[in-house]
Amino acid sequence: MANQRVVVVGGGLAGLASTMKLAELGINVDLISLTPVKRSHSVCAQGGINSCNDQTRQLGDNEFKHFDDTVYGGDFLNHQPPVKEMADWAPKVIDLMDRLGVPFNRTGEGFIDRRRFGGTLYKRTAFAGATTGQQLLYALDEQVRRRESEGKVRKFEFWDFQGLIQDSTGRCRGVVAQDMVSMEMRSFPADAVVVATGGCGLVYGRSTMSVFCTGSAASRCFQAGAKYANGEFIQVHPTAIPGSDKLRLMSESARGEGGRVWVPRKPHDSRSPRDIPAADRYYFLEERYPEYGNLVPRDIATREIFDICVNEGLSVDDERMCVYLDLTHISKSELDRKLGGILEIYEKFQGVDPRIEPMRIFPAVHYSMGGLWADYVRTAAGGLEPGAPKNHMTNIEGLYAIGECDYHYHGANRLGANSLLSCIFTGLFTGPSIVNYIENQSEGHADLASSEIDSAVKKQQDRHDSLLKGDSSSDENPYLIHQELGDVMTRAATVVRRNDQLKDAIETVNELHERAMKVSLSDTGGWSNQNVLFSKSLQDMFPIAKCILQGALQRDECRGAHYKPEFQRPSLTAEDPAERRKQAEEWLDEFDKNNEKFLKSTIAEYDNASMKPKLSYEAVDTSLIQPRPRLYGLVGADIIEQVFKERAEAKKAGAAPAASA
Amino acid sequence: MIAFDQHAKRPEFINVRVKRQDGPGKEPYWQLFKIPYEPELNVITVLQRIAALGKDADGNKSFPVCWDCGCLEEVCGACTMVINGRVRQSCSALVDRLMEDNPDELVLEPMSKFPVIRDLMVDRSRLFRGLKRVKAWVPVDSYYDMGRGERQLREMQERNYPLSQCMSCGCCVEACPQYTKIELEQKPGESDEAFDARKNDAFDKAFVGPHAISQAMLFNNHPTGKALEGERLDALTAPGGIQACGNAQNCVAVCPKEIPLTTSIARAGRATTLHTIRKWFEK
Amino acid sequence: MSDSPSETKVSFFEKHEFAIRRIHSLLGIVPLGLYMVVHLTTNASLLNGVETFQRAVFMIHSPGKLLPLIEWAFIFAPLLFHAILGVWIAKTGRTNSGQYRFASNKRYSWQRWTGMIGLVYLFLHIMHLHGGFHAQWWINSINGIGFGMFSPYNAGSSLVRAMDWGWGVVWPTIYLVGMLSLVYHLANGLWTAGITWGLWISPAAQARATKVCVAFGIVLTVISLSAWAGAVIPGEEDAQAMEAIENRMYEAGVEAGMVPENEEKRAHHSATDVEAGEEAVSDTEATAMTEFVPAS
Repeated sequence: MANQRVVVVGGGLAGLASTMKLAELGINVDLISLTPVKRSHSVCAQGGINSCNDQTRQLGDNEFKHFDDTVYGGDFLNHQPPVKEMADWAPKVIDLMDRLGVPFNRTGEGFIDRRRFGGTLYKRTAFAGATTGQQLLYALDEQVRRRESEGKVRKFEFWDFQGLIQDSTGRCRGVVAQDMVSMEMRSFPADAVVVATGGCGLVYGRSTMSVFCTGSAASRCFQAGAKYANGEFIQVHPTAIPGSDKLRLMSESARGEGGRVWVPRKPHDSRSPRDIPAADRYYFLEERYPEYGNLVPRDIATREIFDICVNEGLSVDDERMCVYLDLTHISKSELDRKLGGILEIYEKFQGVDPRIEPMRIFPAVHYSMGGLWADYVRTAAGGLEPGAPKNHMTNIEGLYAIGECDYHYHGANRLGANSLLSCIFTGLFTGPSIVNYIENQSEGHADLASSEIDSAVKKQQDRHDSLLKGDSSSDENPYLIHQELGDVMTRAATVVRRNDQLKDAIETVNELHERAMKVSLSDTGGWSNQNVLFSKSLQDMFPIAKCILQGALQRDECRGAHYKPEFQRPSLTAEDPAERRKQAEEWLDEFDKNNEKFLKSTIAEYDNASMKPKLSYEAVDTSLIQPRPRLYGLVGADIIEQVFKERAEAKKAGAAPAASA
Repeated sequence: MIAFDQHAKRPEFINVRVKRQDGPGKEPYWQLFKIPYEPELNVITVLQRIAALGKDADGNKSFPVCWDCGCLEEVCGACTMVINGRVRQSCSALVDRLMEDNPDELVLEPMSKFPVIRDLMVDRSRLFRGLKRVKAWVPVDSYYDMGRGERQLREMQERNYPLSQCMSCGCCVEACPQYTKIELEQKPGESDEAFDARKNDAFDKAFVGPHAISQAMLFNNHPTGKALEGERLDALTAPGGIQACGNAQNCVAVCPKEIPLTTSIARAGRATTLHTIRKWFEK
Repeated sequence: MSDSPSETKVSFFEKHEFAIRRIHSLLGIVPLGLYMVVHLTTNASLLNGVETFQRAVFMIHSPGKLLPLIEWAFIFAPLLFHAILGVWIAKTGRTNSGQYRFASNKRYSWQRWTGMIGLVYLFLHIMHLHGGFHAQWWINSINGIGFGMFSPYNAGSSLVRAMDWGWGVVWPTIYLVGMLSLVYHLANGLWTAGITWGLWISPAAQARATKVCVAFGIVLTVISLSAWAGAVIPGEEDAQAMEAIENRMYEAGVEAGMVPENEEKRAHHSATDVEAGEEAVSDTEATAMTEFVPAS
């Protein structure tokens, strides 16, 4: 007990929550992060964190409804027991964060204020100004700093995780990491390793994610044998500000307050937007969805904006795809009152006043629902067994995955304000599980054979050295390859996916991967060499990129963020009620058939020889809430829903006598 | 570019002068880069273009410039540097706007108050050390579920939230005339631990900086954080505490998050005055 | 002063740095700032007439032999403390108002520069008029280079003549620069002290305090310019007229017992006069004076 050590890789919300909980449980923690943990990507989350609460309870809300909203939003691809446990924990998580000093917005009476977010009817979301993620992260950062000054935690900031140390049985016994300043390669033996390294937005070149969200850490585990699940589920946010360095989020409220989306009818019209007369403007959302206009839901807005630029070639800008989000018809005073904060962000980064000139926006990759596969232990009641060593352990023994880089919680599509919750929850919840795992082991980190450590370090040192030596026959620039990768991925695997495009993209990415393996570095020095660090993470983006593409190609259906127009289920066409009912029955038969085939987690295993992922499919635990169709905007939705309910009741009635018999 | 013909004044190329340094203790030198002008550039993109270009203005092959960045949205605090003589975040430094002040060139330098690691990358560990000095945390009993925290009036949240937005970027201390650089070298044969201890010792005697003073005031205004009020005020009256402030008020003027640092400093001034008097008479 | 302090002194200083710097801040206001206001106002009274001024000086000098004690305890010692620590403080910072041209930052730089100018000026000023020590032999020896020129019982006329010493330009210039520097230093110091002690906290309160301190600075500037004009404008003819009045006041004062008789505090224009004055004092008396409270 006295001398147990866990390595936590990643210092975002999940990594910090895990670190502080483990430290409290008496474990020594080595926290490895490639940036000072206070600068982790969690700071970018704006909206808030969900839980059912005293107010919503009195309106009929409860933990189960939060759970239900989450799996419905995720199109039932979420694993239900972990999601249920998370929803049960949500109020406690917020209470804890409140105690840790997060300055949540308050009501006049001093209670935590709540707002409503997408995908629910209840005001579940607690928030701290427009920087909730930052505030939550800081509270955890402060606690870890406190534990650090007590000597329970050692931080290794500006250290890049390189790979796992595994013993002959395959058990994970520590990590190898590299000092990004001195380039020293070092081993960190441990009794268990927690990976909390977030998403992989940089696979798409530019996204709403921070520059270090390359997914390379998850990829390094994946290449070491960990399974990667649901890679193809990537959330795209409809409105972001396309910068040449990054895509910055533009809140949905701009459309909510009357913003109109349009493009010039003439491709790349060089006139200033204010000089383009109404007749030459194409308000495509209003024309295509007269009923909802600009307020169509997120996924539809995303698809249409994407379609207008990619397929119709009507992007406002020639070089950079974007459409206008126009607020200039609204009075300045009204804009300042309702949207002041977010308009200032636009002005700050674009140098253009959106009150005078329409904003240029485009959808942007925002979140990866998929991630490292990890196990869990279900209780009879349908939640998670607290303290079970298997909770969140990957298929590599002793390696845990939590936060955005796990895969259980968000299914095919993440609900707003649930990501912060899943990160903190998994960090806290897995603490006792890890402790129990360690206590069951006969060998600890101190017993690891030095030969095993040395060979793990040597493997990484060799990789590093050979990159520095370079391939004299090639002059591949890693930064340019990254741009190409981003372009391919953005075109083929974001909003609208087509099999022919995906096949082409797989080929291109395979070629790029080979080119990336022989990059030539302009900097071959041995001090703070960002060039070689970037090249390594670039090479490691490819296994993940391939999971995304292959997963998307093989998934011939529409589910959540994964949209393939060829496989969209049609609306009902019949006018005659009897015929219409028959169509509804058929529709639901198809729905069931499709679920049988595709309501499964995509599981990828990496084959290092062929440099390709191998996919298999795993059943999803949907035992608590029966999957039901999402029928938004579909003609005949009412009759399908009616038939669905009748069938569900019949099933229940049929099941009950059988059970009693 | 065609679409931006109305901005005909814009040059074809931008000259970027970067102060480079190969490592700690090495002689700094200037290098000039030339990159094609694009609309809506910020300094991050400029540095990315330089990395992709791989050569300087004379066509010589050059290492990519080393620098630090993270979110690119001005919430992580990583990308601080001195741009055209003024410290700021490079993600929100727009080239078009910078060229209004200096149309000839863009001058990028590392922060001057921290040891240079390489090029524009500096070692800011002293900033975080400052947060430890003032015990900038809430001393909760445990991370178990103990129910909700104390009720807090909106007024308190409105006072604390701005302070809580501090992202430890270092702008305030870079502009502060009272915060001076501490750069130590590891002696031959000195262990990493001994070197860290010696560094921390030096940091702990030097000015703690406006950001840490402000964090001390933030946690002293929290119902549970208050428990450490006395210890924080002791830290602020120890060597390198609040007394080192010279009231130049640059901190508040350069803070990218517009945190009312000088208000915190004045508050700390009052609190330390009363604390010291109380200690004088009570102990 | 701060470069090579001994090891023990460093630890003592470090341990009490907070308190020492608060004392530094306090001394700048009381007694130094307060004294400066009184001093300048007294001198400005010369504009009202030589009698007003001379009466005030008689009053200041009324403690007689206690005066040096008062001077050292309440002026010179605090001044030395404030000055030495001030120089050290200035050395701990690196002004950067060329790079960051904010008004408050310029004020910060000026506070340091005016402190330095003020320090040099005060040294010159004290040597020039007061002489530093009251011992007659000392005063006599520095009189030759134009120092120790002030004769309290001929306050107005000796002041006017002291300012004329040289070419009549050098001293007035030094005084103008020095006094305005110190006025700035006091007014701005008052403002920063308010923040240091936590009197004005919010930006709005600090802005109000700025206005008050600016107003204070303007009033003090007017007073100091009056004092300067009162000493600089009169010529030698005016000085002679003043001297006559002062002599008459002295004699009447001594006769009435209002002014302690003390020839050393009177002006002596020529070497013979000085010698004559010296002869008038017995040897024993002179020894006693230098030993105990010189020159009172």
